[in-house]
Amino acid sequence: MMAAAGASGRRILACDDELQILRALKLVLRSAGYEVRTAATMEEALDALALWPVDAAIVDLLLPDGNGVELCRRVREWSAMPIIVLSAIGEEEQKVRALQAGADDYITKPFGPQELVARLEAVLRRASPDPGESVLRAAGLEVDLAAHAVRRDGEELHLTPTEFELLSVLVRNRGRLMTHRALLSEVWGHEYADEVTVLRGQIANLRRKIEPPKGSRKHYIRTEPGIGYRFDPK
Amino acid sequence: MRNGVVFILLRGRRPPLVAGLAVTFVLVSICTALVYPLKQLTTVSSLGVVYLLGVVVISTFWGLWLGVLMSVLSAAAFNFFHLPPVGRFTIADSRNWVALGAFLVVALASSSVSELARARAAEAVRRRAEADLTAETAQLLLERAGVEDALASIGRRLAAAFELPWALVALGETSGDSRREALALSAGEARVGTLVVPAGLQGSVVSRLSERVVPALAALLQVALERERLVAEAVQTESLRRSDAVKTAVLRAVSHDLRSPVTAMITAGAAVRAPGVTPHERDELGGLVVEEGTRLSRLIDDLLDLSKLDAHAAVPRLAECSVEEVIDAALAAQPADSMVEVRVDPDLPPVRADFAQVERALANLLENATRYSEGKLVVVRARSVGGWVVIRVVDRGPGIPAVDQARIFEPFYRAPGRTPNVISGSGLGLAIAKGFIETNGGRIRVESVPGQGSSFVVALPAIVEPEP
Repeated sequence: MMAAAGASGRRILACDDELQILRALKLVLRSAGYEVRTAATMEEALDALALWPVDAAIVDLLLPDGNGVELCRRVREWSAMPIIVLSAIGEEEQKVRALQAGADDYITKPFGPQELVARLEAVLRRASPDPGESVLRAAGLEVDLAAHAVRRDGEELHLTPTEFELLSVLVRNRGRLMTHRALLSEVWGHEYADEVTVLRGQIANLRRKIEPPKGSRKHYIRTEPGIGYRFDPK
Repeated sequence: MRNGVVFILLRGRRPPLVAGLAVTFVLVSICTALVYPLKQLTTVSSLGVVYLLGVVVISTFWGLWLGVLMSVLSAAAFNFFHLPPVGRFTIADSRNWVALGAFLVVALASSSVSELARARAAEAVRRRAEADLTAETAQLLLERAGVEDALASIGRRLAAAFELPWALVALGETSGDSRREALALSAGEARVGTLVVPAGLQGSVVSRLSERVVPALAALLQVALERERLVAEAVQTESLRRSDAVKTAVLRAVSHDLRSPVTAMITAGAAVRAPGVTPHERDELGGLVVEEGTRLSRLIDDLLDLSKLDAHAAVPRLAECSVEEVIDAALAAQPADSMVEVRVDPDLPPVRADFAQVERALANLLENATRYSEGKLVVVRARSVGGWVVIRVVDRGPGIPAVDQARIFEPFYRAPGRTPNVISGSGLGLAIAKGFIETNGGRIRVESVPGQGSSFVVALPAIVEPEP
């Protein structure tokens, strides 16, 4: 079910003060082919990270001797490793702060094993990007970077250059949470990093063009309230 | 007429003394002149009466002392001009001495009676003004929502009635100083407030204030404060009663809705470990644990949200939101097989709201709609209507009878007579939706025609001019 060849040997640190959840995380990650270390406090996590270099960390927002936000900040002082924070409903503010402090993504409890592994793979992909892909394909959508062309189920779609740029950034980072700032910096440049309204307008236009005309659900671009967008085809 | 005179008496105070003297001389002259024609009709000695009218007028308007002056002058003029021998102050006939003496006595008596009447009338008017003031104070104190609001108006009325530059009614104790005099307002033992007036007022005004106004004001203030306390208590009792009702409902839900998934999970967990369980059965049992656990988790989230809303602790994090994005996010949370069609006006203005809260509200409405529409299409429409963004979630389910429409947003309220297997929600979804929409400054209501379907209407205040 979760056979992930690419995961074999990758090392993950899981940090949560609830032992039952740690046990479950360990089981899920091991069966997906990862090597797992666990920590129950922030200090333990920092010690483990110093001694045992990892490829990514999964960190709970609430820890007995600190919180995920602080942990993210401390890890970011010396490492760019992908970090996923675990949040519960009602911890939205903490979650946003963790993302600002350098977390790459979040996952809301309770979560399924597939969801967790998919998120983990997405952030790890960022850590080692695919070399020079020129045509990106996802769920019926085809983005031809070289030819600047987009097709949905073989049908050519007409995007403006900005929309195309936005779409290709999202598709290159598929599955990953892209913050408003990240998208704005990459597509418009750093000086536009706070122009969320501009981004929102372009996303609305892009969605109108790429999402199937009838039906309700957005298949490709998901909104992450107050944070950003995610290309996550269903 | 009497009212008019009385009004002049009080309002105009006493006319100036100089005018009094002038009027006295004029009246004496007029009366003296009047006696000439009357002398032809009756005996002179009985005509002293003519002067009495003047005496009454003068003493009424200018008081006792000018009245006495008028009496003496009248007696002198009567004697000099009319009592024989005319043109001299001597009197020939001893009977005329009696007449003159009697006139003087009557004149002086009527002077003092007039003065008394004048004082009485003035007093009556003051009393009435004080009674009016008390009535007005009572009305202000008891009609207004807050005692403190009423105090400013009472101070103004009081100052107007006593012709003071200002007057102030304060709650609790306030001390006077060189410019202000503080009169304690006490009801029984308790000090309820203070009447503060400018220092250096006339003694009569201060004694009138402290004798006539302070006791009534203190009593009224105490009643008003007591009433305010009782109203606050009643409000608190009512909200306690209501939260008691919610708690009872929560307990009922806990005993059933929380316990049944836990029971199922424990049973399934135990069954997995039983010998001879096939892999297929194990898979099924695992699925059951996940399903029931998810249900439990949802219910706990709902209870948490509701208790936060109930305690006004669900403070929205307001930010500019695109309604289209909120609807999309709410839709993403629905099961993949739900039939929902979205129609959003292209030029919809953004709203200022907490994205996550509005998303939860809409997700609950969508879930409710898909649950009751039994596979028929649910339509979500969003339009801009005069400063509001109006979102309608329309289902073609069985509809809601009018009697239930008012109660449908209450926690744990379920319309009676529904088949239990249709209902699988926590019974909190609509209450939470209403709570979150209203916390974000929006409105929510339901329109329904039984047999045809329901439409939940959410209105959120639009940001009219979007940020550039």
